[in-house]
Amino acid sequence: MNRRAVGYELVVFVTQWGLMLIGFGILTKFVAPLNLLNPSLSLGLYFDSATKALIALVLSVTWLFIWDRQVRLYFHRRGK
Amino acid sequence: MASLGANTIAILIALGSFPVSLALTRFFMYWNAKHGIIGIDVHKPNRPKVPEMVGAAVPITLILFAAIYATLGGASSIPLLAYSLVVGLAALVGAFDDRLRMRGIFKPLLTLLCGLPLLILGIAFPGQIYSSMLHVPLFGQYHLPVIYPLTILVATSVTSNTVNMLDPLNGSMAGGMSIVAGGLLIGLLLVGAGSMPIFLYASLMFSLLGFLYYNRFPARAFAGNVGQLSIGASIGALAILGKTEIASVVAIFPNIQNSFFFLSRIRRFTEHRELTSKPTRLLPDGRLADSEDLRAPLTLVRTLLIGRPATENEIVSSIWILFLTSTSLAVITLLLTGV
Repeated sequence: MNRRAVGYELVVFVTQWGLMLIGFGILTKFVAPLNLLNPSLSLGLYFDSATKALIALVLSVTWLFIWDRQVRLYFHRRGK
Repeated sequence: MASLGANTIAILIALGSFPVSLALTRFFMYWNAKHGIIGIDVHKPNRPKVPEMVGAAVPITLILFAAIYATLGGASSIPLLAYSLVVGLAALVGAFDDRLRMRGIFKPLLTLLCGLPLLILGIAFPGQIYSSMLHVPLFGQYHLPVIYPLTILVATSVTSNTVNMLDPLNGSMAGGMSIVAGGLLIGLLLVGAGSMPIFLYASLMFSLLGFLYYNRFPARAFAGNVGQLSIGASIGALAILGKTEIASVVAIFPNIQNSFFFLSRIRRFTEHRELTSKPTRLLPDGRLADSEDLRAPLTLVRTLLIGRPATENEIVSSIWILFLTSTSLAVITLLLTGV
């Protein structure tokens, strides 16, 4: 078994898990309570939801980018 | 005590799915081999022929036991019907792909539709399938009236396809998903969840173990898309029905990494068989090594082979360790969520 690779992957998983919890915390405490558009406006609820979904998407892409960098760093250090 | 009794009965009924899945797997091995439904195990020097599409045993067992549980009055039949439809539709998509070799883009598109029973029955019977309140570990919950229902379709498609993409070696998918289902089952028992998701997770775990008996190294049965997609869809549907959305994402971290690096390199939905640059290569001594092809995707298996070739058995053990870790994190997530 490639202990170094498995160990590194475990560190990546724990890091990503921690970042995920922080991300959901940001969404719950800061993004979700925002009233970006008045829900009584026509389609206001939908625009509000779409904007918040966009913020969640940006956070998700950032999360995946950090994941990507961690694995690539290992790959280029050990493999090449 | 009443709750403990219901959960115990649910697990005892689910236990029956192990021998049923085992017997169905044996039957499909015989029937598929007889009818020429055979794949080649490319990760062995002698390239043995192995019966394909044998994973059909798992969705059949899951649907059968969901029906038995509904008949016995263990839970409302609506969520069990939705679950069975999702698993059945994903199995059909997988079977079509196994027989007709669809282009890579069709699988994610068709599996999007597999989540429709959850959405439609959820709208028709409010509160029975999903609630649009997302429970977040440590930070409480928030209401997603518009986004949550739309996420259901994406969730089943993502889970089914990501599970489909991480079954390159004998027992890697069946073993990994058994660990996920078992871990989430333990998590639900610890947080005192209802008996219906406990039953479904238990039946998924026992069905997978029945199939794993023949799929483990050296494999005598391959799951095929029919098995992989339906098992993935089952994980997705259970995330919704059992309110284990975030924990399920954590549990399938190995799948997420594998799919993400595959897609980020290839930049399109395609089949492994259509890849011109392979991530791994087979050495004459039977071990697997990194292909060192820079154009090939950085799959999970390739990551585990960097700088050191390994036997198939060793790689599968490493993948299972990764699933054990991600599932342990998922259980902690469930405890922190406290649903």
